[in-house]
Amino acid sequence: MSFFAIARLLIVAAVAGGSAWSANGPANAAMMQDNIERYRVEAKALGQGFEAFSAERGRILFSSSPAAGKPDTPSCTACHTTDPAGVGQTRAGKEIAPMALSRTPDRYIDVKKIEKWFRRNCNSVLGRECTPLEKGDFLTFMASQ
Amino acid sequence: MDARLPLNSPQMDTEQPAQTARVWDLPLRLFHWVMAAVVVVAGVTGFLAPEWWLGLHVIAGYALATLLSFRLVWGFVGTRYSRFGSFPLALGGLYEHLRSIVRTNPKTVIGHNPAGAWMIIILLVALVTLVVSGLIALGGQENHGPLAAATGFLAGEMAGEIHQIAAWGLAAAVAVHLLGVFAETRIFRHPVVAAMMIGRKAPPGSAVNVPRSAHTVRGAAWFMAIAGALLVSGITLAGLPSSGWRALDTPAVYVSECGDCHAVYHPSLRTGEAWRSMMNGLENHYGEDASLDEQTVSIIQAYLVDNHAGTFDTEAAQRIGRVETPSLRMTDVAYWKSRHQGIAESVFRLNSVGSKVNCTACHTDAASGRFDDVKIHLPEKDKP
Ligand code: HEC
Ligand code: HEC
Ligand code: HEC
Repeated sequence: MSFFAIARLLIVAAVAGGSAWSANGPANAAMMQDNIERYRVEAKALGQGFEAFSAERGRILFSSSPAAGKPDTPSCTACHTTDPAGVGQTRAGKEIAPMALSRTPDRYIDVKKIEKWFRRNCNSVLGRECTPLEKGDFLTFMASQ
Repeated sequence: MDARLPLNSPQMDTEQPAQTARVWDLPLRLFHWVMAAVVVVAGVTGFLAPEWWLGLHVIAGYALATLLSFRLVWGFVGTRYSRFGSFPLALGGLYEHLRSIVRTNPKTVIGHNPAGAWMIIILLVALVTLVVSGLIALGGQENHGPLAAATGFLAGEMAGEIHQIAAWGLAAAVAVHLLGVFAETRIFRHPVVAAMMIGRKAPPGSAVNVPRSAHTVRGAAWFMAIAGALLVSGITLAGLPSSGWRALDTPAVYVSECGDCHAVYHPSLRTGEAWRSMMNGLENHYGEDASLDEQTVSIIQAYLVDNHAGTFDTEAAQRIGRVETPSLRMTDVAYWKSRHQGIAESVFRLNSVGSKVNCTACHTDAASGRFDDVKIHLPEKDKP
């Protein structure tokens, strides 16, 4: 875990410690739920018979190789490793903290960051933007890990 | 004190047999042996050690600069046989001396013999050339040291070439010097090494003792004065802003956005044109989408283009940054390849390195754009 990740963790822990929650996880999880909620609203607005997000569909998105994007990035797991709890690596060799929320609790909080990486990574792997349904499924899967 | 005392003067040291005279004063002898040791350190770190030993090499260079300055001054204010004025440099004398060597009966000479005197001149010239060219190279190529403000990269590089030639010249001169000493001691049985240690020689005819303690005090005083003056002026000069490098005010978004996937590159590593093309093609950035919103792109692009390679005069900017490549990569520049070809592929694959584009893994000062030799740290294996 990077220095900043630890520092952020400590700050979040300090904030959460003041509340009734025993750890920082739940505070972050709440912020993450807000983001999932946003994708739910977007998905419903598309009117394609949305019912609920599915962690299982998220898992499939995470581990499948659709062969539709850029050749160097066949799947999400190319960088994030097949194990959501594992430490990934960019193609340029930099470490990526685990995607599982339980392992990196300060993830999926910042809307701009999530949107930036969905735009880039979905474009690289799928050759297109991800739909709100895919984004919500992905976050739901990671929240369960 | 006057160095020219007659041999039989009552001030002569009485415990010593009258056949020997004190020829080499203590400051000169100390200079000789300390310098020899420092030259060995400089030679080993310069010829054999990897680049990141430059720090020790430079320290040896500063020590040599001080020692040589002292020797040059002592050549005018020192005792009799230390003075350049007493050196038998006449070519006729040199010819006579060389002939006597060929006939294998050279005379013992008080002070230097003509060949030895010329040897010392050659050694001193080579050493002064090395120190001066080394300081210029350090200032120009590394943007360090007292001449960093005054010298550009190209001047530094030229001085670096001269430095190398002079180093080989010195190595050759030292070899001849050692051969000469060997011949004197082994073949002609003149104990010149002992003389350089205890200061005494058996004179062939009339020689004068050089006085003992007063000149040592005087030598020490001169040395302190010279060392002090060099230290003060060196530190003052080194404090001036370097001519080729400046610190930059890096926008936080550059570090956060361009540092997500790899090291954050210094703007001096590419031309303005290359940065512009790269920032306009982030959707397809080396096989990945690295796109950013327009506002962020324009902040980052302005920073990179304003501080492009042409605005820096460092080795990295001159040799890598200013060289265009179709891929826009630094790692496709011939100079980059030649400097890194000795590094095993397995080193680039270490977890602590990851890829050749991760400059910071081996160049701890990469973010500043300096790429100093002393800041190279080649990882050998991963931490467990
Ligand atoms: C080329 C490497 C690469 C691939 C392939 C990749 N990612 Fe990423 N991803 C990254 C990097 C680098 C980050 C940012 C680093 C970090 O957040 O620790 C990131 C961050 C993210 C984030 C933001 C996390 C947060 O903390 O907000 C999401 C969401 C994400 N990736 C989803 C995906 C999905 C979905 C896929 C597959 C469609 C995918 N990634 C494929 C490299 C990759
Ligand atoms: C999504 C990940 C990602 C982001 C964000 C990113 N890069 Fe890159 N960059 C890469 C990859 C992958 C490579 C090729 C690495 C390799 O060959 O090992 C690369 C290579 C480079 C190179 C060439 C390195 C060489 O080989 O000499 C430069 C220069 C560069 N990036 C600049 C930037 C700048 C400037 C930014 C910010 C605007 C940026 N990058 C943001 C992924 C990224
Ligand atoms: C695996 C470690 C490693 C990586 C990664 C690496 N370098 Fe180097 N680099 C070295 C070593 C070792 C040397 C010295 C080579 C020699 O002996 O001449 C060097 C030399 C240099 C020099 C010459 C410095 C000098 O003063 O002699 C420059 C400039 C340089 N590297 C730039 C880069 C840049 C730019 C990158 C990233 C794109 C990079 N390096 C990545 C190890 C590395």
